[in-house]
Amino acid sequence: MSRLNLTASRLPLPRPAATAVLDARTISRAKLGDIDAFTEIVDAYYRRCLRFARATLRNPDDAEDMVQEAFIRLYRALPRYEESARFESWLFQILGNCCRSANTAFGRQGARAVDDDAALERIAAPAASVDRIEDDWGDAVRRALSDVPVYNREIFLLHYVEGFSYEEIERMTGVKQSALKMRVKRASDALRKHLAPVAARGGDVA
Amino acid sequence: MSDAEKDPVLRRAIDELRRLPDADPGKVKRVVLAAAAARVSPADDDVLIKPPRRSNAPRFAAAGGLIAAALIVGFVSRGAFPSPSPAVPAEHATPQVAGAASPSMRSASASSSDMVALPQQFTLRSAAAHRVSVVGDFNDWNPKIAPLVRSPDGVLWSTIVPVMPGRHLYGFMVDDSLFVLDPRAPKASDPDLGSEGSVVIVGRP
Repeated sequence: MSRLNLTASRLPLPRPAATAVLDARTISRAKLGDIDAFTEIVDAYYRRCLRFARATLRNPDDAEDMVQEAFIRLYRALPRYEESARFESWLFQILGNCCRSANTAFGRQGARAVDDDAALERIAAPAASVDRIEDDWGDAVRRALSDVPVYNREIFLLHYVEGFSYEEIERMTGVKQSALKMRVKRASDALRKHLAPVAARGGDVA
Repeated sequence: MSDAEKDPVLRRAIDELRRLPDADPGKVKRVVLAAAAARVSPADDDVLIKPPRRSNAPRFAAAGGLIAAALIVGFVSRGAFPSPSPAVPAEHATPQVAGAASPSMRSASASSSDMVALPQQFTLRSAAAHRVSVVGDFNDWNPKIAPLVRSPDGVLWSTIVPVMPGRHLYGFMVDDSLFVLDPRAPKASDPDLGSEGSVVIVGRP
């Protein structure tokens, strides 16, 4: 089993996630319909949006579609964007709405057929395969995250992964800061509970 | 100190979650194209389709447009320009000047002949379409600038647009939502958006 080095964290937290800094003029140009400026915006944020959507959606396969839908809504609404507001918050507010709608629709559809051979193999494999899967810290984290209720998960991701303050998230979601902190705490507890044994098996946890 | 900062397991998990997916320029371009097409749909926000104002400024703009249109029609009728269009026989064409207020026309007074916008005819056959416009790098891919006019037989759509000399990429926006290439023109990859566009070469090669 591989050894996990858990000492090399790059935190403190939270911090704004890395994104190319957009010139305010780029957003102004995009507001006027400049497609080149809008391309710069999509280019700057696409990967962050995809990361957020994959982690938030019940069906991660929908992530690219939801990101596209969010950018379509953004582009349509750009003429109404007030430049005093933080652009990034606005984008993630739209994306969050898209993901919540998709999660609701996915929940209504119920279980889906599994056509992925690899997925079937994992499900059918004996218990030993769990160790194999969780040898990979990244897999373990994603599996743990998928067990966190979506309404807690989303806030956790906005705060710790995307770097938004509680004040910003309150403006984005309309949820009071006290409730936001509780959701993040619950998500953190759930992740810790799932990942602590994996980390202990893996080695150093400093 | 936050909950996560105190817990190395959680810190490491957050670091893992912060890893970004690989960059894929093709996907970015697809998103841009989809958004551009959606923004001009009939269901678009009303802020994008403002009612005409009654101030003096639009009248001057309209007058400028009419003058430019008259110039182009004059050029065409005198045969001053060849028709390099990948387009249709002249007997089918019902040319209308469009986009006369485009940036291209503002260069029409430049001293070099190479810097003068030339009238370029664009045509498309479609009996099913309700609206057609030509979009290209010469009008910022804006479907509101150069609408095509349907011929009396209802099949052929055409317009004439002032375009600066050179190689240009273009296409047609049909019914405000469908981007189609010109079936009569060669195709090339769009350096800005990645998708294919039809190619027209205006003026001297």
